[in-house]
Amino acid sequence: MAVERLLKDDATEEKGDRARMASFVGAMAIADVVKTTLGPKGMDKILQSTGRGRTVTVTNDGATILKSLHIDNPAAKVLVDISKVQDDEVGDGTTSVVVLAGELLREAEKMVNAKIHPMTIIAGYRMAAECARNILLQKAMDNKQDPEKFTSDLMNIAMTTLSSKILSQDKEHFAKLAVDAVLRLKGSTNLDAIQIIKKAGGSLKDSFLDEGFILDKKIGIGQPKCIENAKILVANTAMDTDKVKIYGARVRVDSMARVAEIEGAEKEKMREKVQKIIAHGINCFVNRQLIYNFPEELFADAGILAIEHADFDGIERLALVTGGEIASTFDNPESVKLGHCKLIEEIMIGEDKLIHFSGVEMGQACTIVLRGASSHVLDEAERSLHDALCVLSQTVNDSRVLLGGGWPEMVMAKEVDELARKTPGKKAHAIEAFSRALQAIPTIIADNAGLDGAELISQLRAEHHKERTNAGIDVISGGVGDMEKLGISESFKVKQAVLLSATEAAEMILRVDEIVTCAPRKREDRM
Amino acid sequence: MAAVVTASGPPARASSSKTESYVDNKRRDDVRRANIVAACAVADAVRTSLGPKGMDKMIASASGEVIITNDGATILNKMEVLQPAAKMLVDLSRSQDAAAGDGTTTVVVLAGSLLRRSLSLLSAGIHPTVVSDALHRLSVRAVDVLHGMAIPLDLSDRDSLVKSAATSLNSKVVSQYSSLLAPLAVDAVLSVVDPAHPDLVDLRDVKIVKKLGGTVDDTELVRGLVFDKKVSHAAGGPTRVENAKIAVIQFQISPPKTDIEQSIVVSDYTQMDRILREERNYILGMVKKIKATGCNVLLIQKSILRDAVTDLSLHYLAKAKILVVKDVERDEIEFITKTLNCLPIANIEHFREEKLGFADLVEEVSVGDGKIVKITGIKNMGRTTTVLVRGSNQLVIDEAERSLHDALCVVRCLVNKRFLIAGGGAPEIEMSRQLGAWAKELQGMESYCVKEFAEALEVIPYTLAENAGLKPIAIVTELRNRHAQGEINTGINVRKGQITNILEENVVQPLLVSTSAITLATECVRMILKIDDIITVR
Repeated sequence: MAVERLLKDDATEEKGDRARMASFVGAMAIADVVKTTLGPKGMDKILQSTGRGRTVTVTNDGATILKSLHIDNPAAKVLVDISKVQDDEVGDGTTSVVVLAGELLREAEKMVNAKIHPMTIIAGYRMAAECARNILLQKAMDNKQDPEKFTSDLMNIAMTTLSSKILSQDKEHFAKLAVDAVLRLKGSTNLDAIQIIKKAGGSLKDSFLDEGFILDKKIGIGQPKCIENAKILVANTAMDTDKVKIYGARVRVDSMARVAEIEGAEKEKMREKVQKIIAHGINCFVNRQLIYNFPEELFADAGILAIEHADFDGIERLALVTGGEIASTFDNPESVKLGHCKLIEEIMIGEDKLIHFSGVEMGQACTIVLRGASSHVLDEAERSLHDALCVLSQTVNDSRVLLGGGWPEMVMAKEVDELARKTPGKKAHAIEAFSRALQAIPTIIADNAGLDGAELISQLRAEHHKERTNAGIDVISGGVGDMEKLGISESFKVKQAVLLSATEAAEMILRVDEIVTCAPRKREDRM
Repeated sequence: MAAVVTASGPPARASSSKTESYVDNKRRDDVRRANIVAACAVADAVRTSLGPKGMDKMIASASGEVIITNDGATILNKMEVLQPAAKMLVDLSRSQDAAAGDGTTTVVVLAGSLLRRSLSLLSAGIHPTVVSDALHRLSVRAVDVLHGMAIPLDLSDRDSLVKSAATSLNSKVVSQYSSLLAPLAVDAVLSVVDPAHPDLVDLRDVKIVKKLGGTVDDTELVRGLVFDKKVSHAAGGPTRVENAKIAVIQFQISPPKTDIEQSIVVSDYTQMDRILREERNYILGMVKKIKATGCNVLLIQKSILRDAVTDLSLHYLAKAKILVVKDVERDEIEFITKTLNCLPIANIEHFREEKLGFADLVEEVSVGDGKIVKITGIKNMGRTTTVLVRGSNQLVIDEAERSLHDALCVVRCLVNKRFLIAGGGAPEIEMSRQLGAWAKELQGMESYCVKEFAEALEVIPYTLAENAGLKPIAIVTELRNRHAQGEINTGINVRKGQITNILEENVVQPLLVSTSAITLATECVRMILKIDDIITVR
C-alpha cells in the first residue's frame, strides 16, 4: 500500500490473475454464445432489439449476432472485432474464428493454472500455427487450370457455406445463383455490381438471377414504358425552380400582372432546365430528387422516360452499371457521360412493378431477386447469400480449396501433434493444447448435430492416421464420410484467415495482465 | 453404443439413429418451449374465428377506435404482441395475406397445431433439425397431394369463380350478402385482366370507395370512376354534364403565386382596384383557354401551396358551364388518367384537346348523407374498375371492405393459378390421410415426425366443426372414414351440420390459398424450431 491513489475516482484496475481470469471468462462466454450456430445443424438465434420498435431478427450468422451484442468485457470485444474483420476480409467463417479463439483460450487457462508462463504458451501457439498453416498450404488443391473442375469446386464451396444457413433446403438453387453471379464478375471482388433485391411473397425457390439492373421505382405518368437502346442521364438535381437559398429573399411588386410574370419566369426557368437536359440527346432521365408535375409533363411530351426520387444507393449503382456519371449541372452536354443500355422496361415481380434495365454497359452487373415468405426469411437469406458471394469472389482470386467437414482441422491437428512430439521443453504442452483446440471444432459440429462428438473424433483421428485420407464428419448420415465424394469443400483463404486471426486474438488476450477501466466521462449538465 | 462405426466406412444408414437423438441443456429447451407456447397462444386467439360459423372479435385500439372483424390478418395486426416468436406468427398471417389474400386464419391455426405437435416430438428427445427436415419433406409432399385433388378451371367458367368467392365471403360478417358481393368481386377482377398478361392481376386497378349510408345491399360495381367528393358548385356551376370532355390538371386556377416569397405593394386606392381587375383578368384568361378546348369537366389535383380554386374562379368556371372536382390526391392521378385514357396537364400553356378524356356522363349523385361524383360511359376506358361499398355504419363498411378484399384476392389467385379445390376441411383431411399412409413407408425418426404432423393437419376440420357447434371428434373420425373409402371431396357442411360431398355444395376455394397456407405455415414452424436462444441487443 505504498502508492496512495494512482487513478482517478471511479477508474478501476484489475491485476495479474484476476485480470487474466476476467478476460478468459469474457472471451469464452462470447464463444459459447455463438457455439451452437456452428455447422449444418447449428441453431438460430433471435436477436431482440431493446430499441424503438423492438425489432426481431432471426439469424445464424456469427458476425451479425456478435456485432449486435451489448458487451462490457474488453477481451470479449477483441473477439467481436476479429469476427468483424473476418466478415470484411473473407465474409465467411465468422463463427469458426470466434469459437477457435475461445477454445485456444480455454486450453490456455488450464496451462496457466498449471503454472506455465503465458509467454511460453504464446511461443508454442505460434509454432503450432505456423506448422498448421504449412500443412494447409501443402494439402490445398488448385483447380484453376481446369475450368470445369473449378466451377464444380465453386459449386461445392457455395453449397457448403449455404448448408449451415436458412437456404440449406434449396442450396443447390442458390449455390448456382451465387456461382453464376460471381463468375460474371470475372475476377473482381467488387460485390457492388451484384444487386440483391428482396421482395416478400412466393417462396425461396422462386428467387432468380437477372442480367442487368432493377430499380424499385415507377415510371412517370404518360411516359413510354419501354425504351430500346436507351441513353440514360443519371442526375442529382433539384427540379423545382432554383430557389435562392437566402433566408427571407423576396420580391416586391405592385401589381398582379407582375406576379403572374414572375410565376411565368419561374416556369420558364424550369422549362429551360428541362430543355437543357433533353438537349443531351437522352431518352431516359433518372433523378435522385423529386421531379415535379410540370417537368414530368415536359419530359412526357418529349417522349423521355423520367424516374424521380430514386434512392441514393440505387442511382450510384445505376451510374456504375450503365457506365454513366451522376450529373448535377447541364450546361455542357459534351462533358456529361451518359449511361447506355439496350432495353428499359417495366416488369412485375409479385405485386410490385419495377423498372428493369437490361443489356447494360458493365457486363458484370446482375441482380439477384430474393423471394420469401416473410421479411425475417428474406433478411436472413440475404445475409446467407452475401456470405456465399464473398467466399466465392475470394475463391475466384485465390483458387485453392480444401475439403470441409472438419477435415482441415484434423489434418492440422495431426501435424501439430507430430511437432509437439519433436519439440523439447514446456512449449510442447502449448503445442499439444493447440491441437486439442483445433479438434474442438469438429467436436462442436458433431455435438450440435446431436452426435456423440468424442466418439466421432476418435474415429476421425484413427482415420487420419493413415496416409491421404478424405475423412470428415458427415453430419447428415451421422458418421465418418469421404468429404471428396460428398462434395464438401471450403475455401483455403477462409480457413487460413480463421487460423491466423484466431491465434493472434488468443495471443493478444493472453498477454494481458492488467485491465484498467477508465472513469466514465462525467456529464457536465449541472454546471 | 451398439453400432460402433469401423474405420472402413460404415453404411451411412446403420448409424443414423445417432444423428437424431438430441441432448440439450435445460436453458435452451426452456427458450424453445417458451417460444412455442407463446406462438400457440397467438394461434389460439384467432382459432374461434375460423370457418363460416366462426365468431368475430372486437378490437379496441389504443386511440379508442373500435374494429369488429373476422379477418385473421387484421386481428393479429392489431394485437400488439411483443414475444419474438409470437411476432413471427403475426408476420406469417401477413405473408399469407400478401401471397393469397385469404386463409389468414387458417395458416395461423395450422402453424399453432404443428408447433404443439413439435413440442411433444422435442420432449421425446428428437433433434430439432430432424423435426424441421421432416416438416420440409412433409410440406413438399402435401403440396403434391393438393395438386392431385385440384380441379382445373377455365376463366370463362364464371359460376365456379363466383362459388369460390362466395366460400371466402361466407365466413365473414357480410356473409348474408355473399350472393351479391361474390359476382361483383369476380366481375371486378375479370374486367382488369390484361389480355397481354392473362395471368397477372394488379389489384390496385380495382379501386374501392367507401360511403356511409344505405346497406351493404347497395354496394355496386361502377364501370368508370367514383370520387368520394362533392362537385365544387359554390357559384352555381353544373352538377351534371353529358358528353363530358374531361381534363385532369395539376395546376391551380387561382391568383398567381411564385415560389419565391412575394408581396404586392399598394400605395393608393386606385392601385387596389387595378390589382383586383388584373386578378380577374388573369383568371378569366385561364378559364377562356380551358373553354376554348371544349373541356367541360375539370379534375384538379390537390395542392398544399395554394388554393386549387377560389370563389372567383369558380364563378367564372360556372359561367363557362364547367364542372369542377377539386382536391384530387396526387397518388390517384395515375389511376384516373389510366381509366380516362387521358394525360395530366401541368400547365395552362399545355392545355390541348388531345390531352382530354371523354365520357358520356359526369354527374353528382347524392347517396346517404353525402354526395359522390360518378363518371360513366368512358370512351376507350383503361382496364380499371371501381367498387362503391355502402353500409349502415362505419364498422360494417370497414368489414365489408376487408371481406371484399379477401374475395378479390381469391379471384386473383384463381386467375394466377387456375385450379380449384374443395373446401370445408376436405383437403386437410385428405392430406392427413395420404401423409399418414406415406409415413408408414418412411424409416426412423422421420416416419415418426411425419405421422405426428399428418395428424396435426386435422386441426382445421376439427376447429371448423367445433366452431359450428358440432361434435368435432365424431365429425373428424367420420370424415377420415369417408376419405379412406375414396370419397376425397367429402367435407364438413357447416350449414347443414353434417358431412357431405362438399363440391356439390359449391364450397370451393383456390388451390393457391391451400398450398400457400401449408408452405408458409411449415416454413414458419421450421424457423421457430431452429431457434435456441433469444439475445437482447441494442
